[in-house]
Amino acid sequence: MAPRSVSATGSRFDDGVARLQAVLVDAMLVGAALLMVEFLALAFSGRRGPTGLLLSAEQILDLLHYAWAVAGGLLIAVTWGLFSSRLGASPGRAWFIGVPEWEAGLEWSRTLRGWFAAVFVELTFFTGWLITELDLVTFLTKFGKAADIVRGLAHPSGAVLHEGLVLLVQTVFLAFMATAFAIPVAFVLAFPSARNLTRGTLAAGVAYTVSRTLMNFVRAVEPLVWALIFISWVGIGPFAGVLALWVHSVAALTKLYSEQIESIDTGPMEAIAATGASPLQVLRYGVVPQVIPPFLSFTIYRWDINVRMSTIIGFVGGGGIGYILKPRVDLGEWGEVGTLVLLIAATVWLMDVLSAKIRERIV
Amino acid sequence: MSGAAAIRVEGLGMVYPNGVRALEGVSLEVHAGEFLAVLGLSGSGKSTLLRCINRLIDPTEGRVFIHGEEITAARGARLRAMRRQVAMIFQQFNLVRRHSVLDNVLSGALGRSPLLPSLLLSFPAAERERAMTCLERVGLADRSTSRADALSGGQQQRVAIARALMQAPRLILADEPVASLDPALRHSVMRHVEALNRDEGMTVVCSLHDIDLVTRYATRMVALRDGRLVWEGPPGAFDHATFKSIYGEEAQPASNTGF
Repeated sequence: MAPRSVSATGSRFDDGVARLQAVLVDAMLVGAALLMVEFLALAFSGRRGPTGLLLSAEQILDLLHYAWAVAGGLLIAVTWGLFSSRLGASPGRAWFIGVPEWEAGLEWSRTLRGWFAAVFVELTFFTGWLITELDLVTFLTKFGKAADIVRGLAHPSGAVLHEGLVLLVQTVFLAFMATAFAIPVAFVLAFPSARNLTRGTLAAGVAYTVSRTLMNFVRAVEPLVWALIFISWVGIGPFAGVLALWVHSVAALTKLYSEQIESIDTGPMEAIAATGASPLQVLRYGVVPQVIPPFLSFTIYRWDINVRMSTIIGFVGGGGIGYILKPRVDLGEWGEVGTLVLLIAATVWLMDVLSAKIRERIV
Repeated sequence: MSGAAAIRVEGLGMVYPNGVRALEGVSLEVHAGEFLAVLGLSGSGKSTLLRCINRLIDPTEGRVFIHGEEITAARGARLRAMRRQVAMIFQQFNLVRRHSVLDNVLSGALGRSPLLPSLLLSFPAAERERAMTCLERVGLADRSTSRADALSGGQQQRVAIARALMQAPRLILADEPVASLDPALRHSVMRHVEALNRDEGMTVVCSLHDIDLVTRYATRMVALRDGRLVWEGPPGAFDHATFKSIYGEEAQPASNTGF
């Protein structure tokens, strides 16, 4: 949390906004802490949950209805804000307004804010333990069932070796095609997505916002979801997988490419612009030569990632080796699953080593 | 162009978006054929002044005229046509490091080259020949196929000079052209800048640190302090008192090594 000093030029309005923001953030933090305390108290008192410890998701949601936590949080936040000169700044106040002079530079353990943060982290950890239903006893005593699977994986069956190899080749090509089609699209989109190239004119600013927003949205949607969309579009098979990975790769590569463009040395751009070159020529001479090696490196890495992802895409019908893995998992043919898993692992390992070596050479 | 000064700067002011004021009320004239040295401490506005002249930076106040035409009013193709008249040499050379030496020199011709072929790094044979001639002038014809970043600093700056020569400008702006170089190499580079001025008749505006270089090469000098023009005159008239007025009371002239 970077403490900011009170700005000398801030208007009364700005001060008011900052104070409001500080109180709201504090109220949320304190409210959340209170809810967690209550949750832990309920869980350990045995009033809720079948085991006395574990609560279901609905019951957790139910807890959110306890308005007193919100009210209490707000009350404490306002009080802390009012007495901040004595108590030290609250987290929100430190963030939006600044800390009192005597508190600046103090170690965390000597400020109330520091202790609040420490307790908050502890609370989050224990609440998380309960919410995710961690159960060490089961983990340590119920290994028996899984042993079958592990035994199967360790004794791969040769029955699916040939089919597995064929589909493995398909997987690698699937990932390759998705990456190859993603390169030109991402290359073009990367320039309007780079902040340093889109300052100045309004049109460039709009292009930046549009392409960034679009790519963030596309990246936020899991490739698995894209696979489901494309399977119903072009049918089950590797083509749907190519399309799903393509869409995701475009978004991922655009982000990586544009970040690379943002970090270039602007000197050559200046030099080329000074010769009277047009904007396209400035891009071609001042930007492109600098970004080609890192672009290649990212692209190979992306291919690598796509090979790994296409296994999962295959699970839902996107072609590749995952496609025959799924039914064998469902039927419990662990020997055959073992063969396929080993094939995938070997390929992923090989791709990883190869791509690392190639990328080392390029950059 | 008769009568009009090579460069006329009127009331130039520059405030960067972060609020830093780099230039204030700078007015000066550069005559055709001059070698004008610009002196001043780091941060005194030398680089900003040079970049305002060819509009790599848009000044926030004032006007700049190149051979009587106002570059601060030019837009788009007109601005680029005016920039072709003004080549620039940089402290960090600013070559395209992954391109060959010859391609770097050829990039000086971009302003007059057709767009599509130039995007494919393709230039007419006449331009290629001309680029080789420019490289010969700076003594690097044998390195034309090397990658630019394989050359030493002094050689890279000579490639940058060949690129400026390739541009066939009437004006040269040189921003600390030898500040990144080993002191022993400074004259070898400055001599080439001098040749552009003396043999090609190009007007040179060159920011420099080293007073010895100024007295050796410049025909006139101006000094900036905190973004204002504080001194103007022939290098011979530069004395101890002037030195103090530019660099402040604590500064010590340390000849040979610059300031």
